[in-house]
Amino acid sequence: MPQLIRVRPTKIELIKLKRRLALAQRVRKIVKDRLSILTMELLQTARDTTEAKKKLIDELSQLYKALSIAAGYHGYMVLEKELIATEAHLKVTVGSRNVAGVRIPSFELTNAQERLKAYSLADTSSWFDHAAQLSQACLNSIVELAELQRSFELLAMEISRTKRIANALEYVVIPGLQTTISYLNMKFEERDREEKARLKRVKVLVARG
Amino acid sequence: MPRPSPDQTQDAPYARILQNCLTGELRLVNVGLPRTRKTLSHLLREDYPQVICNDGSTHFFKRNELEYLASILDNDEQEALLLPILIEIGVSQGEAVILALSGLEGKLEMKVASKVLDMPVTCDQGKIRIYKSQLALLRRKLKTATVYVFSSAAPI
Repeated sequence: MPQLIRVRPTKIELIKLKRRLALAQRVRKIVKDRLSILTMELLQTARDTTEAKKKLIDELSQLYKALSIAAGYHGYMVLEKELIATEAHLKVTVGSRNVAGVRIPSFELTNAQERLKAYSLADTSSWFDHAAQLSQACLNSIVELAELQRSFELLAMEISRTKRIANALEYVVIPGLQTTISYLNMKFEERDREEKARLKRVKVLVARG
Repeated sequence: MPRPSPDQTQDAPYARILQNCLTGELRLVNVGLPRTRKTLSHLLREDYPQVICNDGSTHFFKRNELEYLASILDNDEQEALLLPILIEIGVSQGEAVILALSGLEGKLEMKVASKVLDMPVTCDQGKIRIYKSQLALLRRKLKTATVYVFSSAAPI
């Protein structure tokens, strides 16, 4: 049984309650639309995350193979010396975008290419170039996966919050308002009936003289 | 019908808080809308392509999406297409509407939508209607180049 809202039984309160009910119904519709959009985005992000993870695992396994071959060809000492030249802080452009009221981060790797080509081309072989290309692809995939996973977390949190609001509106707020409105309507009807009965009684008394 | 019990005297402040929450929820869904929109060519020239939203935050565009749009449109169309493209939700169940506001009677948005969805679309009074399944496809390809608008004027 939905709880009645404690209000004074006046017409003004009834009008206020009706307005509040209209607002709550409007919000419920928007919240439900938002929930469906967020769910669609979450599912899409989940699919993208799975694909990105698979892609990253494939790329990493290829990279390890390529690095093993390069290490075998050049030796660890040379490989380490050349890798030191490519060491740098990567520049990731961080922005955000809004998806149905949720701020989602957006990452883009910007300067990885030039730093990875900083090794000596004369002292290295094509195996090393291949490994460098694969590591570049891996870096891009890692950044992409980071963005997708964070988006997934944020969307999931927002969905659970929105679900709570939608349920509260659907099962508590709106039924409470409807019950109170119908209670007030019945109260006014009862008052009218009492008034009519009172008038009839007065009429009878007046007629009796 | 039960009467309101005396222990429900705290309902009035609760109702006020609830009212504020509901109004806040209405505001929240559309705070991410851009304050001003920029043309595709303008965004392509920027180092960090972004627009300012209503709440003062920024909406960042992915460069690969902008380049994809540029590959679809010619130079004049790039000068005219305003981004982000607005997608209206809540007009009717199971449908979404792409708002064609870039001028040229919605030809630019039509061209983009038909290319992305790989099917012809029609524009009626500046609105391109698509199904929700097509919306998922559109959003998959243009994540940052499109934003949602929640219609509160729709019939309840």
